Amino acid sequence: MNPLPALVLLPVVGGGLAWLAEHIQPHTTTPARDASWWVVLGILTVETLLLVMVTFHHPAHAGPWLGHFSVPWIPAMGIAIRLDMDGLSLSLIWLSLILCFLCVFLATRQVTVNAGAFHFLFLATLTGIIGTFLATDLFLFFFFWELMLVPMFVLIAAWGHEDRQRAAMKFFMFTQGSGLLMLLSILGLVIAHYQESGELTFDYFTLAHTPLSPAVSMLLMLGFFIAFAVKLPVVPVHVWLPDAHTQAPTAASVLLAGILLKTGGYGMIRFNVMLFPDAASHFAPIAMGLGVAGILYGAWLSCAQDDVKRLIAYSSISHMGFVLLGIFTGSRMGMQGAIIQMLAHGLSTAALFLIAGAIQDRLHTRDMYRIGGLWTAMPRLSTAGLFFAVASLGMPGLGNFAGEFLVLLATWHVSPTTATLTTAGLVLSAIYALRMVNRIFLAASRPDQHPIQDFPVRQMAVFACIMVFLVVLGLYPQPFMMFSAPSPLSVTAVTSREGATP
Amino acid sequence: MIGHDIFLPTPLLVISSGIMIMLAAMVWRRSVGRSFAYGLVTLLLSLAVVGHHPGRMSGNGDSLFIQDRWTTYTAILIIFSTMCILFMSWRDVAHDGTTLVDEYPLLFMLGTLGALAMVFSANYMPFFLGLEILGISIMGLVTFRHRPVMLGYEAAMKYLVLSGASSAILLFGIGLAYGVTGSLRFMPPIATGEVPAALPVAATVMVLVGMFFKLSAVPFHMWLLDVMEGAPIPVAAFLAIVSKIAIFSSLVRYFGTGAQPPFLNDILSVVIILTIMVGNLLALRQASLTRLLACSSIAHVGYLLIAFLCPGHLQSGAITVYLAAYTASTLGVFATMTAFVVPDGPDGTVIAQWRGLFFRRPFLATAMSLMLFSLAGIPPGIGFFAKFEVAATGVEHQRDILLCVLVIGSIIGLYYYLNIIRVMMAAPSSPSSTLNRHARPELTALVIVLTIIVVIGGLFPARAIHPLLPAATVPPETRDGIRH
Repeated sequence: MNPLPALVLLPVVGGGLAWLAEHIQPHTTTPARDASWWVVLGILTVETLLLVMVTFHHPAHAGPWLGHFSVPWIPAMGIAIRLDMDGLSLSLIWLSLILCFLCVFLATRQVTVNAGAFHFLFLATLTGIIGTFLATDLFLFFFFWELMLVPMFVLIAAWGHEDRQRAAMKFFMFTQGSGLLMLLSILGLVIAHYQESGELTFDYFTLAHTPLSPAVSMLLMLGFFIAFAVKLPVVPVHVWLPDAHTQAPTAASVLLAGILLKTGGYGMIRFNVMLFPDAASHFAPIAMGLGVAGILYGAWLSCAQDDVKRLIAYSSISHMGFVLLGIFTGSRMGMQGAIIQMLAHGLSTAALFLIAGAIQDRLHTRDMYRIGGLWTAMPRLSTAGLFFAVASLGMPGLGNFAGEFLVLLATWHVSPTTATLTTAGLVLSAIYALRMVNRIFLAASRPDQHPIQDFPVRQMAVFACIMVFLVVLGLYPQPFMMFSAPSPLSVTAVTSREGATP
Repeated sequence: MIGHDIFLPTPLLVISSGIMIMLAAMVWRRSVGRSFAYGLVTLLLSLAVVGHHPGRMSGNGDSLFIQDRWTTYTAILIIFSTMCILFMSWRDVAHDGTTLVDEYPLLFMLGTLGALAMVFSANYMPFFLGLEILGISIMGLVTFRHRPVMLGYEAAMKYLVLSGASSAILLFGIGLAYGVTGSLRFMPPIATGEVPAALPVAATVMVLVGMFFKLSAVPFHMWLLDVMEGAPIPVAAFLAIVSKIAIFSSLVRYFGTGAQPPFLNDILSVVIILTIMVGNLLALRQASLTRLLACSSIAHVGYLLIAFLCPGHLQSGAITVYLAAYTASTLGVFATMTAFVVPDGPDGTVIAQWRGLFFRRPFLATAMSLMLFSLAGIPPGIGFFAKFEVAATGVEHQRDILLCVLVIGSIIGLYYYLNIIRVMMAAPSSPSSTLNRHARPELTALVIVLTIIVVIGGLFPARAIHPLLPAATVPPETRDGIRH
């Protein structure tokens, strides 16, 4: 049996089960809520087992692609359900699962209203994300790309904080609107291929070999780029992000910052750079400029925030600038740096959002001035917060540093000026991270402080796992760099054909 | 015309006889429920025989009617929609029961007859007759709104006057076309001999204007908002769905699916741009749900016309899927609106009344959201695939401006559709304990069926294209057949 479709479908089916589980005993509230939570936990465990199987099961044909699945979907249009997995998608799916476990352990149990529906939407988002990472049919990719927005929109709009609905609308309009441009690009590529060869297909590998004039290629690449740039986000189109991240419920913030942003980076690697290498290299100076702008602008604004979640959100913009920069340096090292940065940022920012969410649950405020010093009241939470804040500023020895360093090195080879500017962003990131640490954890405790509950040991154990991941990623990134490299297209086309024929 | 030339599609026959039986039954004894039952049975029967016809089409194209896959497809859509709309109206019979009379289902049946006559027509005569039957029965139906009495009458008068004016223009165009070609065959006139070249163009444009009026494309759209707002909800659905499918089907039949002459191309492009932009922009500021749906239906006509303007092998799939998606999703929204109404409660025509529906009636709110997502072109609804197909036809012909307009229109559309969902998610303003739930199994079932259609159609659209593909390839064949 092929595990790939199961990987995609399991979360949404399981989400449905979780929803049903809540309705089995509608009168006893607490056990029912736990029922859906337990179902979600079970589903995620099964999903992890499947993923372990995929990771360690070596396919019969030797090649970088770990799995392939294909059935026709809409034959009249040449659309099929094609799923392929390489190291890049596998590592990002691992990241998604780890973050989902984090959310389930630390955040989703606090949801009291309609917990079943919440869990369903949560897992439905996961399905969309995993589908996006696996799809190699452009229509299917677009389908998942749009599909993951819907549950996320509902999560923000229904369970978010005070200004949730405006934030949700903004999020949806930006991502969906830019998605339409990508749709036009996809169609343009498909039609160009059709006029060239007479074959109507949405297959990624076939389309990769479409001969295109430079102008057309640039135009199509830009369509993709804008969609991914909104998701990543790149600076002029980032305005949805601070609101959405701030207003979303904790679990949704984690998903948004941890994984949803990575779909943008993934798309840039898989589609911009690999489908249109020439156009991408022509476009690289502008993209790198935007990346630097994002790094500096995000970090600068982050320094000026009082709202914790907003601060973390702006720091995400800054960190994602590194990803953009790394992808468009055009070198292998830059790409690896970008991928490491994505993984490390996913882990550290998700943890920061969880901590911010925990603080908000306890103190009912996100204003750093009103939170005051927590070190004495909540030593465990503060330790975790300190660790991840330091990770986020790029302390050597942790994953973020490895990613940023590789990106900087690759950038230096291309343009020393850019690299110099980028380091200014690192200074700024030290400022905002330390400012946050000072205000929240190290400041003198407020006199009117109520006794508050610290993290229990169980939750600290979960955080400890993430810390270990980050340290491993920082000290020994080599295996991850080799493992998570995207498979080159020339190899893919052949092996996937071989995989398809038997 | 000799006997063997008379070719009559069976659905027309069935519905006409059904209407006569209804009339006879009304003379015997008046009963609203029974009239509804007659109407539904008649529709079911006509659905069963939709592909059949006695005799054979004459090869020389002199017959009044035509039957091929395209007519079958649109006829099925029309009959199915009317059935759903009759189901929706049932609630008035059961609960309000104040002013409803037998004529209500009867007028629906007459309207359906008119719509089908338009679909099947291969000649100006049945087309025009069908158009008028449809228009007059709609006018009667609009007046059935009884809450604010004047609103219904005002809407009906508006419809009567404007529809009369547009019919006059259409008729003038038909007259000119007859003058040019000497034939009433349902196709654009072609200049022959000594006729000045401007004459057939003028005739075509006038026919087109008449059709745009009924289709409510933009310079001629003003009436739709007021009329739909003034009409009862099922009648508004009838206006937005059945009458539009019928006229669009005739439009495709009339102009064919090939490349259009240049002057027509330019006119259509301008109309499409205006239709999409104005339709969407008007919808932004609407507080009334029916008015908003009217605007959205204007915009959807614009998207549909893009597919019409881009011939090619993607076109037939795009048009058929889009029609199906529009029908199913719009019907779904209207069905949810009727299911929303409770006696002595709000009537669901104002968006603000939907506030907090997710907390009070989650099922209804979920169904409504799925329908709205589908209309906005977001998966998993079938509207996603439909919009995708329309964009594909546009890209194939590199209609860059139209595509830009499509994108901008869709983004604006997204805003107002999402806004309704946002309102439904907002915390309810008043404690809702006073609202007692009235189970209406028939409406709930209808909403469930439509939801299933929308979702399954969105997930497995291949089945939706497959049998309908020949729809657009057939008209050119028949046109060739006519010329021989």
